[in-house]
Amino acid sequence: MRTRTLVLGLLMMCPVFGQAKLPPYTKQTLPNGATLILLRKPDVPLISVRALFRGGSEAEPEGQAGIAGLTAELIRRGTAQRTAEQISLEMDSLGATVGGGSDRQASYLYTEFMARTQEPALKVFADLMLNASFPEAEVKKTLAQAVDAAKSAKDNPAMAIGRYFNAFYFGAAHPYGRVADEGTLGRLNRDQIVGFHKKMYVGKNLILIAAGDFDPAKLGPQLAALAGQLPAGGAFQPGQVAAPKFESARLLLVDKPDATQTYFRIGMPGITRTNPDRVALMIVNTLFGGRFTSMLNDELRVNAGLTYGANCMLEQDRLAGAIAINTYTRTDTTEKAMDMALAILKRLREKGLDAEQLASAKAYIKGGFPTQRLETADQLAGLIGDLEIFDLTKAEVDDLFAKIDSITVAQANAVARKYYTEEKLQFCLVGNAGKIQDVVKKYAAKMKVHPVKAAGFAAPAF
Amino acid sequence: MLLPLIAGAQELKVATHTLKNGMKVLVHEDHDVPNVALYFFYRIGSRNERPGTTGISHYFEHMMFNGAKKYGPKQFDIQMEKNGGSNNAYTSRDVTVYTDWFPKEALELMFDMESDRIRDLAFDPKIVESERGVVYSERRTSVDNSPFGVLYEQLNAAAYIAHPYHWPVVGWASDIESWTMDDLKAHFKMGYAPNNCVMVVSGDVTEAQALALARKYIEPIASQPPPPEVRTKEPEQLGERRVTVKRPAQLPIVMVSYHVPRTKDPETPVLDVLETILGTGRSSRLYTRMVDKDQLVLNVNAGSSPSLDPGQFQFSFQVRGGKRPEDAEKALYEELARLAKDGVTAEELNKARNQILGNFYRGLKTIAGKANLLGTYEVFFGGWEKVNQVAAELEKVTPADVQKAAAKYFKETGRTVATLIPETAQEASK
Repeated sequence: MRTRTLVLGLLMMCPVFGQAKLPPYTKQTLPNGATLILLRKPDVPLISVRALFRGGSEAEPEGQAGIAGLTAELIRRGTAQRTAEQISLEMDSLGATVGGGSDRQASYLYTEFMARTQEPALKVFADLMLNASFPEAEVKKTLAQAVDAAKSAKDNPAMAIGRYFNAFYFGAAHPYGRVADEGTLGRLNRDQIVGFHKKMYVGKNLILIAAGDFDPAKLGPQLAALAGQLPAGGAFQPGQVAAPKFESARLLLVDKPDATQTYFRIGMPGITRTNPDRVALMIVNTLFGGRFTSMLNDELRVNAGLTYGANCMLEQDRLAGAIAINTYTRTDTTEKAMDMALAILKRLREKGLDAEQLASAKAYIKGGFPTQRLETADQLAGLIGDLEIFDLTKAEVDDLFAKIDSITVAQANAVARKYYTEEKLQFCLVGNAGKIQDVVKKYAAKMKVHPVKAAGFAAPAF
Repeated sequence: MLLPLIAGAQELKVATHTLKNGMKVLVHEDHDVPNVALYFFYRIGSRNERPGTTGISHYFEHMMFNGAKKYGPKQFDIQMEKNGGSNNAYTSRDVTVYTDWFPKEALELMFDMESDRIRDLAFDPKIVESERGVVYSERRTSVDNSPFGVLYEQLNAAAYIAHPYHWPVVGWASDIESWTMDDLKAHFKMGYAPNNCVMVVSGDVTEAQALALARKYIEPIASQPPPPEVRTKEPEQLGERRVTVKRPAQLPIVMVSYHVPRTKDPETPVLDVLETILGTGRSSRLYTRMVDKDQLVLNVNAGSSPSLDPGQFQFSFQVRGGKRPEDAEKALYEELARLAKDGVTAEELNKARNQILGNFYRGLKTIAGKANLLGTYEVFFGGWEKVNQVAAELEKVTPADVQKAAAKYFKETGRTVATLIPETAQEASK
């Protein structure tokens, strides 16, 4: 199947007319420090349970990039009572999903099951939460699979560029710049994984959220008993890490000789999840590169036909992230597309946004919010989990529309000028260097060409 | 563990109506969020194309956003987003589907804009050229720069030699370069008749509201002859076909394809069970054998997609570093033969039923999911009502049915195999 529109940026913490309110839910803190949240939503006979543990890839020790994701994956691969096969068989037999993963702030385990299978599904989930045993054979197998998966990411330039960009933009000294690759993954071992699990999967880091078709009076005590069995442990204390500082514009060109198009990202310093400018910036970014009619997509795709899609990512994590223009075009239009992207950036800064644009972006964000964030039990669980991880309150959602409405044209333009800079831009390209390196060197005083076949995603020194 | 299947527990209520011009309208009320999903399923896709204009259905999907009489170029998107909505569209071999999501306040605007573009689409030569570039970019991304995309195209081209499923939905590169204005206009006239379309409205609307708007905006559009019947039937395959693609890649990929009936066929629920037993979840036979036990592949997918004409049951897997594609292929065939020879247990069948039902419920979580499900059942399964019979149909499937289907469809003579062999950098630079 072919689809028409681009996938929008990460942020889309977007929002209805009038107002959007989180439905009521209960929240309690257990003696071991764990947080338990229950939200009843009986419209579909499904229950979604997710356990978030503060930390995530930010908590990965030096030299162990990828350990958070692997640990989360391995939890479903064996407990004291069940082998990996038994876990999969029991959950599949119930028609339930189960899995784990990690992002920059948290590791998570999730399950979604039919309401009538609550008891057996929870039994397995509790076993995973309490008794993960990391069998040596499963660790070996999982690591070997992860190494092959990391290698094959290079066959997909749209995926590979994200990894190259993170390593290049944040650098190895920053947790967001330490990208797992075949080398880092190949060096991990079971002891490290067991150690990471023991330290991070503790009561003080846990936020356990259930949403869906259940009776809170029955499920609540069960989940409290489950979460309460974890040792309290030590709460994850995130370190203070300085945002990357750039002395000049830099350009990393990853040479993929068989590429027939160039993928590029143009990065600049962005914000943290709790930055006071976040609502204004979300509106500005929607107009600049966050929807189909955005300035970037309108020019590069609709007017010029240079690409299938152009957007601008606005990361929002605990540490300041990047704002990055993101698109691709055929090899011989690389310069044209990059010039155009930079011209639009300049236009945003110089001409700014008008009242009509602002009103449109506000309506767009509010109009999509109910179906993007409030419609399903798992969306709600995700949203509430996000508030907890970033120590935000319900007001983040309940007051969102009022905040959006309050942003003036002057405020939006001030934010646009503050963040969307033309200086010291960080260019990351994946393409055929033989054909484009001469034309792209004009964008940055410092340029490096790096072969795609070189191990990993780390950038060379500039 | 055996779980009882509860048929009807999640019955979807739908009001149906056929407009005077032949368009069928399905309305499902759901007032959970103040939004609406409005879907249009046109029965036109790459199967209605011919050599020289392959990919034009998909290209046309793009053109539908480029201006009509009342709402000119860009206005569809501008008006939609300004009113809090967003949209997308997709084209398959059989259908072109337009998907609108918006706050309920924008309902009338959406009907106005949708009727405008069906009735009075504009064909501006400049836009035709620029959109050609967009589609080419889409092809470069999804096919030319993707090992999976390249191989999948070759697989289907080999599995079908006569039927239009032979060519890719996005179109051959040379056809993308050469469509003419006349091709476009002819295609629009052929595919975009109201009687060739099913409309689904799901969300915070009432039946009366939706029908009143459909009558006001859509009903006055005249019906036209539907697309000509696709006459060509794929001749029986008489022996295995093999294709090889050599290109730079980190790991080999193998795709294996077998002929199966169209979706409307009564055997579809059996094939769904077969698909689930073989490839859904980590307890599936292929994951257990190929990924976990033998560690031959990184992942394995199995299954078929909805089709109006006889389709394909396909397998794909990425071969692990240091392993041989032929060994992975052999493991697959052994599993298929074991299924045909020894069949499945009652527990395994019941597991598959629960997995299918669980996924079915997951499709009902959103108004968009329900709109898509209703339209898909109406077009491919022979009626939206079948949505409410999923559990009952599953219950009828027996272990013997599954075993019989495996023996019948996974035959070597009807098999097509495509293998991607990674080329070393040296070979590539020649």
